[in-house]
Amino acid sequence: MWTFGRKIAAGFTLAFLLLLGIGGVAYRSITSLTNTSQLVTHTYKVLEDVAEVLSLLKDAETGQRGYVISGDDTFLEPYQTGVASVPAVIKDLRQLTSDNPRQQKRIDDGEPLIAAKLAELKLTIDMRRKGNLEETVKFVRAGEGKKIMDDLRRILDQMNREERDLLKQRADEAAAAASGTKSTIVFGTMFSLLFVTAAGLIITRSLSGQIGAAVQHVQSSSTELQSAASQQASGAKESSTAMTEITTTISELMATSRQIAESAERVAHVAEETSSAARAGDDTVQKTHESVSGIQRQVDLIVTHMLDLGKKSQQIGGILEIINELAEQTNILAINATIEASGAGDAGKRFGVVADEIRKLADRVGGSTKEIRLLIDEIRAAVNTTVMATEGGSKAVDLGARQFAEVSAALKQITELLGTTTEAAREIELSTKQQATAVAQVNAAVSEIAKASKETEVSANQTLQTAGKLAGLSRELTRLIQAPANA
Amino acid sequence: MTEPLAIASKAVELRNAFDRARAIPSSARAVEQIEGLLSIRVSGDPYAIRVSDISGLATNRKVVAFPSSIPELLGVAGVRGGLVSVYSLAELLGYGREADQARWLVLCGVEESVGLAFSAFEGFLTVPLTQLYATDQRDAACARVKHVLRAGELACAVVSIPDILESIKRRCDSSRPSKER
Repeated sequence: MWTFGRKIAAGFTLAFLLLLGIGGVAYRSITSLTNTSQLVTHTYKVLEDVAEVLSLLKDAETGQRGYVISGDDTFLEPYQTGVASVPAVIKDLRQLTSDNPRQQKRIDDGEPLIAAKLAELKLTIDMRRKGNLEETVKFVRAGEGKKIMDDLRRILDQMNREERDLLKQRADEAAAAASGTKSTIVFGTMFSLLFVTAAGLIITRSLSGQIGAAVQHVQSSSTELQSAASQQASGAKESSTAMTEITTTISELMATSRQIAESAERVAHVAEETSSAARAGDDTVQKTHESVSGIQRQVDLIVTHMLDLGKKSQQIGGILEIINELAEQTNILAINATIEASGAGDAGKRFGVVADEIRKLADRVGGSTKEIRLLIDEIRAAVNTTVMATEGGSKAVDLGARQFAEVSAALKQITELLGTTTEAAREIELSTKQQATAVAQVNAAVSEIAKASKETEVSANQTLQTAGKLAGLSRELTRLIQAPANA
Repeated sequence: MTEPLAIASKAVELRNAFDRARAIPSSARAVEQIEGLLSIRVSGDPYAIRVSDISGLATNRKVVAFPSSIPELLGVAGVRGGLVSVYSLAELLGYGREADQARWLVLCGVEESVGLAFSAFEGFLTVPLTQLYATDQRDAACARVKHVLRAGELACAVVSIPDILESIKRRCDSSRPSKER
């Protein structure tokens, strides 16, 4: 699409070319007309010189006749003027017709006749001055002078006709040139007017359309700009408020960062103390672990002893079985002895008493073995319970030892972790200090941003006002552009 | 658990009892009317056997069974160098075969020694005759029990060994084939 300048430049260029063409044609026509007019003037000058030559010769002839008739020198004045002026006029005429060979030829033919005429006039004047009037009249009557004059008139008449023809021809050419110039000016002007009008209409319509569309766009854009500026103003206001809040929050954050740095420092200190305590605890746990290992060995020894005790109890039980068996056998023997004694009559009574005592003793032994069995059973049960309890204790001691080992490992891990925690706390302290510095910088930057937001708010309000003005200008421009169409 | 002091006092008591028994004169014993009894259990029930009715007591004897028409006969066992017919006291008293092994034997009989087997022997009792009470003989079920021992809370039937032996003899006689035929 062509730009406004290009269209206007194209229109003006075409108009300029048309004006240049018309001007050129008119210039050429006017130049031709001027040349033709100069030639006409030149022809009129030649005609005037031809008439001047004839008039001077007539004046000279008139003075010669007056002098001849009167003999008064006063009448010689025209003669003297004519004689004095003719050469200059002939010379001028020769110069004027220097481009015309026919006229030069006629001048060449006429100059001897003029000289002859002037010589005849001088001769007659001289003859009269000498007082020979009659001879003078006779000489005049001879007609020599008239004959020269007639020839001269004929030549001058030819020259006059030649120039008249040229004058007519040049007048026609001048009229033609004037007519061409007139036509060129009239038609060129009309064509130029039509072209300029058409180009003006086209350019006006095109520019009106484009400018109208552009103005519409500008109007809509200015409306959007107004809306955007309004939003920007409100956004800038909110941003300014938010920046103020951010500034406050960052100030609090700075205070919090400082508190965190102090807390991290305290944490590092506490972590170091805790690490020392954990190392002391680890030593204590190691000692306790050694004690528990000793307890474990003692418990294992107790278990071994208790198992031996159980075995010994079983052996005692076996021996008791034998004693019980022996008591039972003794009892049976005593009973049988009692029976035998009772069968032996009086002789067996004393033996019967002994057998009865043996039986009682066997009964008591049997009762004692039962009690011993009960005791051994109780001992074995106690041993079993003790062994089980001891095994449980051993397992508990094992578990405790393992737990102590785990506690020791956990304490070592705690110590390592506390070391890591200390380093981390120091890093946190350092980072928090750096963070506090950075937050201070951010706070300064945010303060600058808050100032910028306020300036942006002011600028947005100015933009809003400018957009309103631009919208008004767009409406006014639209009204200006669309006024003719609406009218 | 029994305390060591109680065990020591019991040992002293046993020692004193033994010494006292040795110290009592034999004339004092004869005045007292007493009866020796063996306290046993047959199929869980308490019974007593007069010592005067038996000739011996044995235990853990190997009983070799042999075929017989008498169901109560368990077999024969070797006691004191001779063979003894062993009968089930429980079956003779009308019980069935005892579940527990009848490892105790009482020897009785004069002409032919007979062993009566039972499962449990509890002890030797010496009781006054006043504590033995005669049973009602009209009851057929108590044919082999003629006395009952009542001593305090203890009460048990006294098996009549002679009646048992008589019963065995009758059974043997009835089962023996007749020579006249």
